[in-house]
Amino acid sequence: MQEEEIIAGLRARDRKTTEYLYEKYSRALYAVISRIISDQDIAEEVFHDAFIKITRKIDFYQESKGRLYTWMANICRNSAIDKLRSKEISQSGKTNTIDDFVYGLESQSGTMEQVEAIGVRELMNQLNEDQRFIIEYIYFKGYTHTEVSEEFDIPLGTVKSRVRAALQVLKKNLDSI
Amino acid sequence: MNIQEYIESGKLELFILGELTEREREEVLAMAKKYPEIQQELDALEETIFSFDQKTGAVPSQKVKQKIFDSLEQDFKKEETIKASSSASTPTKVVKMTPWKTFAVAASLVAVFASAAAIYFAGKFYETDQKFTALLQDQQVMADNLNQVKLQYEETDSRLDRLVSGDFRRVEMKGETLPMQKDAKVDVFWDQKAQEVFVAVNNLNTLSDEFDYQLWAIGKDGPVGIGLVNPGEKFTLQQMQAVAEAGAFAITIEPKGGSKAPTLDKLVVLGEVA
Repeated sequence: MQEEEIIAGLRARDRKTTEYLYEKYSRALYAVISRIISDQDIAEEVFHDAFIKITRKIDFYQESKGRLYTWMANICRNSAIDKLRSKEISQSGKTNTIDDFVYGLESQSGTMEQVEAIGVRELMNQLNEDQRFIIEYIYFKGYTHTEVSEEFDIPLGTVKSRVRAALQVLKKNLDSI
Repeated sequence: MNIQEYIESGKLELFILGELTEREREEVLAMAKKYPEIQQELDALEETIFSFDQKTGAVPSQKVKQKIFDSLEQDFKKEETIKASSSASTPTKVVKMTPWKTFAVAASLVAVFASAAAIYFAGKFYETDQKFTALLQDQQVMADNLNQVKLQYEETDSRLDRLVSGDFRRVEMKGETLPMQKDAKVDVFWDQKAQEVFVAVNNLNTLSDEFDYQLWAIGKDGPVGIGLVNPGEKFTLQQMQAVAEAGAFAITIEPKGGSKAPTLDKLVVLGEVA
C-alpha cells in the first residue's frame, strides 16, 4: 500500500487501512516510545494514546510538510516525552539508558527479542563515545538537541554534527542486524 | 549555497526529529523542493530512522493492540453508519443505483426546482399584471379627464370666440331691489343680431333639488322662458335659447324643469336692456 493510499484510507476511517498501518508501523512507533519510557505498562499506555491520536489527527497531517512516518514518530516521541516529564513518572526517578533498554529487550521471553537485543548492543557498539552519548540522550532520554547543548555545555553545532555522524553510522550498520 | 554543506549541517536530522522551529522547517522543505539531493538525503534519513526504530524495538503486546482497536471501534462504526445511512436514504426497493436512476433523480430535482421557479415567476407575473391593469385604469381616467377638460376648453374657447367676434350687449341683473336674494348678481350677454344669449352667474344661492332657476326674456309679448340657469357654474358662460327681442331679462325660482309662465313672487334678479 502506497503512502497516499494509507493516508486516504485513514482519513476515511477505514478499518483495513488502520490494520495495515498497525502491522507496518506499530513496532517502530512503539520502539520510539519504549526507548524513552522503560516501564512497559506506561509505554503501552502512551503507545495506545499516541496511535489513537495518529488516526484521529490524520486530517491535520500535511503531506507537503514531511513524510508520514516522520509525522507519526514525532507524535509518539512527543507523547513519550510529555509522559516522561509528567509527575507520574519523574517520581520513580528512573532514567532510561541504552543499557537499560537492551537489558529490557534481553529479558523478554521470545528468542527473536533476545537476538535483536544482541544486534542493538552490537549496533550501539559501532558508535564512538560522543555519538553514543548523543543517541542516548536524544533517542533514549527524549532530550532535544538544545537541551543536550545547554545541559552538557556542548555547542549546538557540535550536537548537530554528532547527531548526523551517529545516524550515518547507524545507517551503515543497520543492514547487518 | 553549498548543498553538501547544508546536508552535513545536521539540520536535516533535526528536521526528522521534529526539533526545528516552523520557520526552519519551511526553509528545509523549500530547499528540498529546490534541490533533489536534499530531498534524497531526507528520504534516506527517514528510512534510516524507520529501520533503526523497527529493528531496535520490541513488538507491542497483543493486549495493547486489542485495546487500540477496541478504542477505534467507535471511529470505524461512526464512519460505517455514515456510509450506511447515506445508502439507506435511497428508496428501499432500489437494488442497484444504475446511471439512469441517477439521472432520473437529477431530472426530478431539476423538475422540482423548475416548478418552484415557475410558481414564483407566475406569482410575480400576476402581481405585475395587476399593477399594469391598475396603471391602465389610471391612465384611462386621466385620458377621460383630459378629454373632458379639452371639451370644456373648446366649448369655452368657442364661446369666447363668439363673445369677442359677436356684437354682445351686457345686461346686469341684480337682486338688490327684490326680496328674494339681495346679493344675487347674474350677467346676461345678448347678441340681438345673432339672437344668441349667454348668462354668467356671479352670485346665486344654491337651490334644493325640487327647484331650478329659470331665465326669462321679457318682450312685447310678455316673458318667455329661455332656459334654466345652473347656480353652481360661476363666472362661466351658459348658453340660453335664442331671443330676437327683449326689453329686460329676469330669473325666477321655478319647480324642477321650469315653468311656462314665471312665478313672479319668486323673482330673484331683474335687469333691463339699456
